[in-house]
Amino acid sequence: MMLRWWLSISTLLSSLTIVLVLGFLLQSSWPLIQQQGIAFIIGTEWYPFESLFGMLPALIGTIWAVALALLIALPCGVAAAILCAELLPKPLRGSVRFGMELMAGVPSVVYGLLGMWLLLPLLESQLNLLTGRTLLAAGLLLALMILPTIMVLSEDAIRAVQQSQREAAKNLGIGWDATLWRVLLPQAWPGIRVATLLATGRAMGETVAVMLVVGSIDRIPEPFYNFLQPAQTLTSRIGREMVEASVGSLHWAALLFCGLMLAVVAMGIALLSDRRRMVI
Amino acid sequence: MIADIKHEDFPKAESAVPTELVESQLPSLLIVDKLSLTLAGNKILQRVDFSLPKEGVTSVIGPSGAGKSSLLRCLNGLETCWSGTVVVDGKDIRQWRGGWDQLRRYVGLIAQKPVVFNASIRANVCFGIHGWRQRRRADELVEKSLRQAALWNEVKDRLDAPATTLSMGQQQRLCIARAIAIKPKVLLLDEPTASLDPRSKQLIEQSMLQLAKDIPLLCVTHDLEQAQRLKGRTVFMCDGRVIEQADCDQLFKQPQCIETREFLRWSVCDCD
Amino acid sequence: MSLLPIQHRDALSKGMVLLFALPALLIPTTVLCYIFWQAMPVLSLSFVFGSADGIGFGVTEGVFPQLVGSLLLAVMACLIAIPFALATALYHRTYATPRQQRWLNTLFTMLQGIPPIVFGLCGLVVLVNLFAWGVSLLSGAVVLAVVVLPLLVLNTLATLERIPLAYSEAGSALGLGKGAIIWRLWLPRCWLQLLTGLLLAMARALSETAPLMFTATVFSGVVWPDSIFSPVTTLQTHIFYLAQEGNDPLVISIAWGSAAVLVLLVASFGLLARLLQKLGAH
Repeated sequence: MMLRWWLSISTLLSSLTIVLVLGFLLQSSWPLIQQQGIAFIIGTEWYPFESLFGMLPALIGTIWAVALALLIALPCGVAAAILCAELLPKPLRGSVRFGMELMAGVPSVVYGLLGMWLLLPLLESQLNLLTGRTLLAAGLLLALMILPTIMVLSEDAIRAVQQSQREAAKNLGIGWDATLWRVLLPQAWPGIRVATLLATGRAMGETVAVMLVVGSIDRIPEPFYNFLQPAQTLTSRIGREMVEASVGSLHWAALLFCGLMLAVVAMGIALLSDRRRMVI
Repeated sequence: MIADIKHEDFPKAESAVPTELVESQLPSLLIVDKLSLTLAGNKILQRVDFSLPKEGVTSVIGPSGAGKSSLLRCLNGLETCWSGTVVVDGKDIRQWRGGWDQLRRYVGLIAQKPVVFNASIRANVCFGIHGWRQRRRADELVEKSLRQAALWNEVKDRLDAPATTLSMGQQQRLCIARAIAIKPKVLLLDEPTASLDPRSKQLIEQSMLQLAKDIPLLCVTHDLEQAQRLKGRTVFMCDGRVIEQADCDQLFKQPQCIETREFLRWSVCDCD
Repeated sequence: MSLLPIQHRDALSKGMVLLFALPALLIPTTVLCYIFWQAMPVLSLSFVFGSADGIGFGVTEGVFPQLVGSLLLAVMACLIAIPFALATALYHRTYATPRQQRWLNTLFTMLQGIPPIVFGLCGLVVLVNLFAWGVSLLSGAVVLAVVVLPLLVLNTLATLERIPLAYSEAGSALGLGKGAIIWRLWLPRCWLQLLTGLLLAMARALSETAPLMFTATVFSGVVWPDSIFSPVTTLQTHIFYLAQEGNDPLVISIAWGSAAVLVLLVASFGLLARLLQKLGAH
């Protein structure tokens, strides 16, 4: 009986973390919602000193950065997965995978260094930019960070397709190309989808690396597809302005609201990508 | 309430006692009354009545899906969603002192597939003994249990080897040794020799007959010849019901019910 | 493309796959080599184990205090998280109803997806301000513990679920209670996998920067923490502050050196975990 009580209470406490986290975020950002309603979410100006808390620039920046990252990392990662799973001989396959897993373990702050001192100068010189701190830089860096996730999980998904499927295709005289597109990829697609969702969640929540290379200018890119300008993402904004905002002020509430938005979207993505499709 | 029945009251007890038992004068250690089990909408057991004599082997035979294994799992509490009454040694098992864990030390169960723990042979045999000090000094008990399970000669010089190195037949005998080391008063066996080699089968049957001199055994088996070798009472079940129960010879030579006759006829044809 | 004969189509496809995959093949080695190449001028034993002599704004020769700080935070975080993770997984496996099991799975999957900076924010609101622990080792450790908790829970759950039901029932049939089954059957069987999960959690805790920035570390001035209520310095945040320092080549080298040390540290935990996994498979 003692065991049961101890286990129940500990489980209850650890399950409460998520409730507490969301609760505090909501409570702390409530003053802002009280004062300004929710119109500020689509506001375009972010001037804390004048109590203007438009979320749109940061939202668009986040979306752009994540989209760029996926655009670059998805084809590359899936291609690498196909290469590893189908084309490479066994020893090479092991070392490529090992390299990817090593990369997956590199902390994000190190990627930030790479971004600042390798990527930015490269962008400035190659693309003739005033400053390399752009959405493109953020997108490239994020792509680098999510590449291992996509590749490793996609490779698992492709390898999980049974050998009998490949043999059946061979028996019908279908070539490698068609087997890949019509047999393997459709069957591996759920796994690849999960990998993409997980990578999206990771890219969306990445703070330090993005903070260092995105420019932190709260401005919607003009024209809207111009990713060669400095911009702002939600995480970068939180990271940079957290130390500046005074506790309890509206600015503080706005930053916490950014955190709340991030949390809610990230939870949604996590639920979608859960392989077992739980309750909600 | 059946819970108050004592052995001396037999067979003068209330109407809860099935009438066939009034004939046999042996007192019973385990009485099952109107046991019903429904799982996921399927009626697995339907009002099962029988009793276990105080010694000897009782075999349960019947076609697949007759509910034989489920019956055993109900008797030792691995299934708890059944209705009806089970009385062991005069006490209702739902009100057993100490709960299901204590009941299982009284009513042992040997599963169909041997499951040995990731430990040495000696540790496996002693696993059910409470207290690690007692486990350390249990050499005599280990030897006695292994002898009773007909395994001692094969493992006496490697008691500390991992139990997973034994063959299937040896592992099953180890499971038997492990179960009898805690000295249960009733032993349930679920097809203990299914998919074992003939030698292991023979050894296990011999140990069962030896054990049956001290405690009652309830053995589910698919092998009709094994049921005949084990002698004792035989219970025939079909579709979750007890169709007939009688002494082994009588059931096989002069079955009373049609279903029993059909079953025996088809089984004999299969053997040929 | 369907007009080409099969061999040509195959060759073209394979070529395209190779082309797209090329960055993925080349980049890992390039990245790792670059980091260590940049760190070369500074990397030495005295760098790893030395400490500050002169203290400029966050620039120090030697990163031993930072190394210790990172490890301290990671170890404390794991120590806080382990009892809760173990208890939750055991509850899920032994006493939880199917509905509770589904809820637990959902809750911890959601928790796992939340970006660590959000936890850092909450830590700032609750621990640093509300509880008035201030920017401290304790605040940072608790925040990291929350980051690491879902990993530990889900890993322990997956490990426990691999134990066949027949194994536990064999123990039940001997009359062993739930506590005895957990302690004598489950833990001896899967302690290696649990340890692997722990090592992965440590690796994760060592690579998190954002949650520590407001809760455990300050920009400068700290070398060794006085108590659990005082701030610490960590490799991750050290690198971050250095990155914003400027263009002094010494600073840049020190930053790369710290990065190299951090990468080695995290990689060693990850590699150890993988090694244990291989061992456990035998």
